[in-house]
Amino acid sequence: MTALPANDAVELVELAVKATTAYQRPDLAARLRATRERLADPVVRVLVVGEFKQGKSQLVNSLVAAQVCPVDDDIATAVPTLVRYAESPTVTLVREADAVSGEVAPPERTEVPLAELATYVSEAGNPGNTQRLSYAEVGIPSKLLADGLALVDTPGVGGLGSVHGSATMASLASADAVVLVSDASQEYTKPELDFLAAAMKLCPNVLGVLTKTDLYPHWRRIAEIDRGHLGAARISAELIPVSSTLRLAALRSTDKELNAESGFPTLLTYLREQVLGRADQLDRRSTSHDVLGVCEQLTTTMRAELTAQQNPEQVEELVAELERAKARAVQLKDRTARWQITLNDGVTDLGADIEYDLRNRLRQISREAETLVDDSDPAEVWDQFAEWVHKEVAAATSANFIWADERAHWLAQQVAEHFADDGAALLPELRLDPGTGRAAQVTAMERPIAETLSVGEMALSGMRGGYMGGLMFFMPLTLIPGLAIAAPFAAAGAAVVLGRKQLRDEKKRSLERRKAEAKATVRKHVDEVQFQVGTDSRDMLRRVQRALRDHFMTVAEELHTSMTESVTAAQGALRSTEAERTTRIGDLKAELVRVEALAERARTLAATS
Amino acid sequence: MTAPDAGRTPELGLAVRDLLRHAIQTYHDSPQALGWLQHHLARFDEPLRLAIAGKVKAGKSTLLNALVGEDLAPTDAGECTRLVTWYQDGHAPSLMLYPLGGAPPRPLRIQRDAAGALQIDLRGTPVSEVDRLVVTWPSSSLRSTTLIDTPGIGSLSVDVSARSTQFLTPDDSPTAADAVLYLMRHLHATDMDFLESFHDQGVARAAAVNTIAVLSRADEIGVGRIDALLSARRIAARYRGNDKLRGLCQTVVAVAGLLAHTGRTMRQDEYLALVELVGLPAGELDALLLSADRFVRPEAPASPSARTRAHLLDRFGMFGLRLSVMLLRQGVTDPGTLATELVRRSGLDELRQVLATQFTERRDLLKARSALGAVDLVLRREPRPAAAPLAAEVERILAGAHEFSELRLLSDLRDRVVRAPKELVTEAERLLGGEGSTPAQRLGVALDTDPAKLRAEALDTLGRWRSRAESPLSGRALADAARVVVRSCEGILANLGH
Repeated sequence: MTALPANDAVELVELAVKATTAYQRPDLAARLRATRERLADPVVRVLVVGEFKQGKSQLVNSLVAAQVCPVDDDIATAVPTLVRYAESPTVTLVREADAVSGEVAPPERTEVPLAELATYVSEAGNPGNTQRLSYAEVGIPSKLLADGLALVDTPGVGGLGSVHGSATMASLASADAVVLVSDASQEYTKPELDFLAAAMKLCPNVLGVLTKTDLYPHWRRIAEIDRGHLGAARISAELIPVSSTLRLAALRSTDKELNAESGFPTLLTYLREQVLGRADQLDRRSTSHDVLGVCEQLTTTMRAELTAQQNPEQVEELVAELERAKARAVQLKDRTARWQITLNDGVTDLGADIEYDLRNRLRQISREAETLVDDSDPAEVWDQFAEWVHKEVAAATSANFIWADERAHWLAQQVAEHFADDGAALLPELRLDPGTGRAAQVTAMERPIAETLSVGEMALSGMRGGYMGGLMFFMPLTLIPGLAIAAPFAAAGAAVVLGRKQLRDEKKRSLERRKAEAKATVRKHVDEVQFQVGTDSRDMLRRVQRALRDHFMTVAEELHTSMTESVTAAQGALRSTEAERTTRIGDLKAELVRVEALAERARTLAATS
Repeated sequence: MTAPDAGRTPELGLAVRDLLRHAIQTYHDSPQALGWLQHHLARFDEPLRLAIAGKVKAGKSTLLNALVGEDLAPTDAGECTRLVTWYQDGHAPSLMLYPLGGAPPRPLRIQRDAAGALQIDLRGTPVSEVDRLVVTWPSSSLRSTTLIDTPGIGSLSVDVSARSTQFLTPDDSPTAADAVLYLMRHLHATDMDFLESFHDQGVARAAAVNTIAVLSRADEIGVGRIDALLSARRIAARYRGNDKLRGLCQTVVAVAGLLAHTGRTMRQDEYLALVELVGLPAGELDALLLSADRFVRPEAPASPSARTRAHLLDRFGMFGLRLSVMLLRQGVTDPGTLATELVRRSGLDELRQVLATQFTERRDLLKARSALGAVDLVLRREPRPAAAPLAAEVERILAGAHEFSELRLLSDLRDRVVRAPKELVTEAERLLGGEGSTPAQRLGVALDTDPAKLRAEALDTLGRWRSRAESPLSGRALADAARVVVRSCEGILANLGH
């Protein structure tokens, strides 16, 4: 593994950019430059989750060899903390702005000294996150993080239904890997296994870490039992036992034996190979496919001209076919293209479905709440009642989110498939020159993709900065911005707090009035949640729609340009003299070889990852 | 143990026994009701029943063994207790299996494993057909209190959890336990839920009073550091102040169960092995104490052997070992002192004191509550005109027995139904017997204060609370509460008068 991620990928992209410039395709060059930018700043997000007091914060500290996250016997983390690389230590508090009329304002960022971090992120300093922070971002010069790894320390999960739990679930969708932390004092509990099963739906790269092995003599037995549970539940996650205490001691005393006993070398290897490595792999493959796509388009034009030059008597036929292809390319850009219809109708339908689903769930909660109010005196049980409502609402919004996420993925895949189908039908057959084996060339390009990524993997990885698309059009899909980032750290339900004040003042009034007030309060709260969460999901969908549309539109434009150039090139062939023709054929063949070489490099890049 | 409020509780006991006998007469023709009532009459004279509940691996069985002072209940790395198991005093050891559905109990053979704990072999009976196991064991620790070990709540096996839930909070009848010791490793949302479910709404609503929360495996809270128990005690104190928790349990105590148990049952050879350890060079010993794996590694030292070390680790845990080493280094020279010190630091002494104050001394009261609940159930399930005087009697006892008023007020103070300044609430709780029912404990003075001083203090307190009860400035709720406290003060004086 190279120290910097995808070094050779960067080289390849730069070569390809040069080629596109040389062949006067600035549109393709622009796309490659975007690829280059993505490679330059890779962030691989690893979420560290687990129940209360299992050792998450200490694990993060041990990994980065610095006391970053506050740790104390009594302290609990209340706010998620993102730890990433920075040249010198910094702490930034991020508060996502409330979305106003669909426009997403940039989040509020405040720098604070590292020593004060505990006052902002712990339960003691910021109980229940009353300060409404979305997350804290800590930058430190850690070697582990220099390669692009970012660790997120999360508040303890109190079961899937708890408020913290649903926020964590939502953030899973945008994570590259999830580490479930559980200490060696006892085997996995049902809530932990339930969480793992749900987590695997949103993020396939899941690792289990067993902590505090220094303290528990029976840790090996617990590990065995845990592995059994994972197997039985068909959760394909590895389990790595570690001790943060030993690791920190080893770092202090530079004792190699102690370090080995801490289990951290295994964990670090996993993070480097399975997490960074896989992200790296994905980067390489998506770069490779980008470049191959570019080569494909360049080749099309060149070959069109070559065919025309070699068979001047059939040029008219060729041009006619190319014109037809160009017309289809224009069609592809049109609003009535199948992929556009799929996208637009899909987004509209999905938006309606998501809203309906949420409304349905919330309505059920409302009804149950009203029944509860009917059976009691709200003034007596208000605290428990409010907590119950919060929990139910959190669970509902979390379930709604997971479902929306799955549907959005599915829609994106649909759009890609329709685009690919139409795009594939676009290219002219060019059977006029069977000898050069264009068909053979095509197959050679198709094979690597079919072998290396299953359709499912393709669809998912597309959402994570990897890769998605049909066979001919290798389209990288950058991480759809905001698909999940806004949601978790601004768990809408939690921000709206059921008011208690009104009820206290009602002591003097009659029970009936208290019940009516309680019901009205719940209704108002539920409406508020519907509004906020609804706004968030509409924003999310809008961003998805925009990203997909922009991306595929760009590709359609490129195809159109390729077709236009092909037509021009073919027509140009008509005007050449015999001598010019021969030269030109020679040149084209040489250029084709060069482009093929570039394509070959791209294929190698994908194969070696 | 000092006799609580002599002259009060026997009255209550007599009244309840009478009530039960009247109820038996009234329902003599209904076999179900009759059986139920007779059972409760017998139960009234039995020792207090203390259930030990909590999530899986909270340390229930270990704490039970520590309380009994013997290796009794099996403890294991995986989930082990799967059935509700009673431990009661008796002449000779026996183990009985009670099947579901009321069939007669079957005796099982008593086997003990290498560690000395009971090995329970159900002899082919599936767990799903068993209602409970009853272990009879001659032990002075069990004489006044029967301990009931329950399977963990939140077990991966839903059936196992359900057994505990059904036992502790049955849907249709009052629980078979008189009081509950609830073990938790930290305060978790599900712990709160469960504590809330103990909160009964029925007869003599004074639920918080029959539950004590224990912050168990307290040494692990501080990940085995030498100051772990100090840290745990601080956390327990914080929990005690938690409004929500106050309404759900009487108090919170931090205990390191394993250390407590080992302290009570420490053997000579174990002591000698510890001394040998301390004799090793300091650097070598410190390296051994870094982790569990290191402590038991087969290579050096040769003595104590790896096997001995593994045994020590099982018995003491990492924290226990570190603490024992520290104590021996500080100059403890005999096993007795070491054992006592370990037990003290484990928090067990504090727990036993709290148990004595909150449960054992209130034994009759808690039992009366259970009995009244039983009669109430019969009255509700099988109402009949002849039972009207019974219902009246139940009411009379509840209203009349000052002890119940005290319990109710204590509960209301904890639920903050009665709002008053904090110092007043603390003083009131104390006077109502919240920290012990002897006069000295109620007045909050040293136990050996001479009677004359006690009288003076009592009179003074009585005066203060009387004015509070009569002052027009006190709100209605506070005035009512003050009147109950006044009655308690009068009771203290009456007691001192003897």
